[in-house]
Amino acid sequence: MLRLSLRSARVLGRQPVAAAAQRQWPVATSHRANLLLQRGFADQKKAEDAKAAAQNPPPSTIDDVGESKAKEIPTPAPPVTPPRKKKGFFRRLRNLTLNLILLSALTFGGGVWYSRINDTFHDYFTEYVPYGEQAVLYLEELEYKKRFPNAASRIGKPRDGSEQVTIPAQSGASWRVADAADSSRRSGTGSAPTKKESQPAKPKAATKAPEPTAKPAEPVTVKSEEKKQPGFKEPEVNEPSRFPPLKPIDLLSLADAKEPVVQELVHMLNDLITVINADGAHGKYGSSIDKAKSQVKKVGGQLKAIKAKVEQESADEVRAKVAEFDKAATELVGRVEKAMIGQELQWRKEFEEEMEKVRGSYDARVNLLLEREKKLNEAKLENQLLEQAIALKKEFTTEVQNRVEQERESRLGQLDALSAAVTDLEQLTTGWNSVVDSNLQTQQLHVAVEAVRANLETATQPQPFIKELVALKEIAADDAVVNAAIASLNPAAYQRGLFTTPQLIDRFRRVASEVRKASLLPDNAGVASHASSWVLSHVMFKKQGLPEGNDVESILTRTQIFLEEGDLDAAAREVNGLEGWAKTLSKDWLGEVRKVLEVQQALDVIATEARLQSLRVE
Amino acid sequence: MAEAPVTRQPSAISRPVSEGLLNEKWDRCLSNLIVKSGLGLGFGVVFSVLLFKRRAWPAVIGVGFGAGRAYEECNFSLKQAARDLKKGSE
Repeated sequence: MLRLSLRSARVLGRQPVAAAAQRQWPVATSHRANLLLQRGFADQKKAEDAKAAAQNPPPSTIDDVGESKAKEIPTPAPPVTPPRKKKGFFRRLRNLTLNLILLSALTFGGGVWYSRINDTFHDYFTEYVPYGEQAVLYLEELEYKKRFPNAASRIGKPRDGSEQVTIPAQSGASWRVADAADSSRRSGTGSAPTKKESQPAKPKAATKAPEPTAKPAEPVTVKSEEKKQPGFKEPEVNEPSRFPPLKPIDLLSLADAKEPVVQELVHMLNDLITVINADGAHGKYGSSIDKAKSQVKKVGGQLKAIKAKVEQESADEVRAKVAEFDKAATELVGRVEKAMIGQELQWRKEFEEEMEKVRGSYDARVNLLLEREKKLNEAKLENQLLEQAIALKKEFTTEVQNRVEQERESRLGQLDALSAAVTDLEQLTTGWNSVVDSNLQTQQLHVAVEAVRANLETATQPQPFIKELVALKEIAADDAVVNAAIASLNPAAYQRGLFTTPQLIDRFRRVASEVRKASLLPDNAGVASHASSWVLSHVMFKKQGLPEGNDVESILTRTQIFLEEGDLDAAAREVNGLEGWAKTLSKDWLGEVRKVLEVQQALDVIATEARLQSLRVE
Repeated sequence: MAEAPVTRQPSAISRPVSEGLLNEKWDRCLSNLIVKSGLGLGFGVVFSVLLFKRRAWPAVIGVGFGAGRAYEECNFSLKQAARDLKKGSE
């Protein structure tokens, strides 16, 4: 930063300060940056810094004298113009505020005025415009005062104290005219506040103050009026003390006070007395009024006399009338009775007629019902008859059937006997059949056995004879002997077949030569003994015929002879007598011979069994 | 003529025929004798060449050793067979 400022100062130093001052800030800095770029690339970073500085001008340092000067020089120029503008602005502001105030005042006034005309607007204005309500109220108050200048004073009164509520002694019912007039006037004025209240109707908060004062005034005046009217009849009872000179006539003291005429007279007199009292001329008219009073008292008596007369007359009239009415009544009763009798007769006739009609209708109904019942009964009887007929028919048919069946049974019995005979015959035939079948079976068994034997005898090479055996077993079915015979056979025998006798003889020759080789071996022989026996066996003489003895050579010759004779059984027995090496060497051959022998034996057994069966059947 | 089926059938089960038992043993003994004596001869020849300046006697001794060994084995096998026979018969 320091270096940059130095450089900028140097750059600035080349150009005239005045020119730099004339230019705007960014322009000058960019120009400087360009210059710096022209200088060289070695300090490009600085150039970038300079760019950054161009964007946000570097703060003026102590070295930055030229720049600070350049900044300060243009500032004095602007202050020359703003003051002029400011003056104009202030003036304008003042004008604006004045206009605003004027306008708002006008609108406010207009609103107040309009609110008096339009009710909805009045509500709106008083609710939302500040001080609108007060203004409207004030205006209304003014108007009201203008209209009723007295109202202000009247309203003012109740505020001084609660005099209006207290009723003065003279108020209410009094016989004085002046007071009455006063009260009447008062009542006349009393109606004013009601009028006033009905007219404005709107005032809310401000009018609430006068209202309570005006309202109590009303009932009081009404009360005074009410009290005054009954005062005409008997006021003088309460206040006689004020005017002692003349006493008004006491109605209650009079005997005939109930008479309306007397009352009127008394009233008139009382009025006169009051007038006289008011004028203060009781002295003049006192005597005459006393006379009048006495006269009034007499009038009552006269009135009573007149009344008594009138009553007597009227009573007479009433009696006469009652007598007349009695007569008329008796006549009426007589007439009514006659009419009643006539009506009764008529009703009886009508009743009898009605009765007859009803009887007729019921009779008709009864007849109808009877007819129907008859018909029903007839139908039922017919049905029963039909049922009986059907039952009889059924019985007849059953009888017929029974008889037919009886007949049939007698014939069927004969048929049964015939059939029994036939079945006996059949049984006989079946028995014969079974005999024939068993014969056939035995025959088949014979055939099968022969087949196996033939297969064994004809074969030049060992052949399996499973098929023949299976056939044999099937034919024998559940014959226990046959099954046992077959089970005794070695499975290898019928699976692989049997050697024929020539084959067996041929094989015996080879076996015999081998056995001879080992014929001279001692027990537990080694190589030397084996070799010696092999050598010596070649040198040995061969025996002929049927030699006796248990030595190997003689046994072999014997078997040879037996085989040639065809006696396999004896040959096998001879070979079985061998021992040691000779026995082991001839083991296989012996097994083969045994198999053949077993098969032969089994076949013999089966053949004998078959023969036995054939014998049994017969 | 008749030998063909006889040899053929046991061959399927690979069971030696009883009359051929001794012959088989002899065959095995002979082959064993040849192999063993051959081996002994080989060893003897090698020894004679390597150690004994091509003399004949080492070779002969080798053959003797081999033959003797074979004889002993054959003897043993035959005696074993005889013992088995006895056991089987008893």
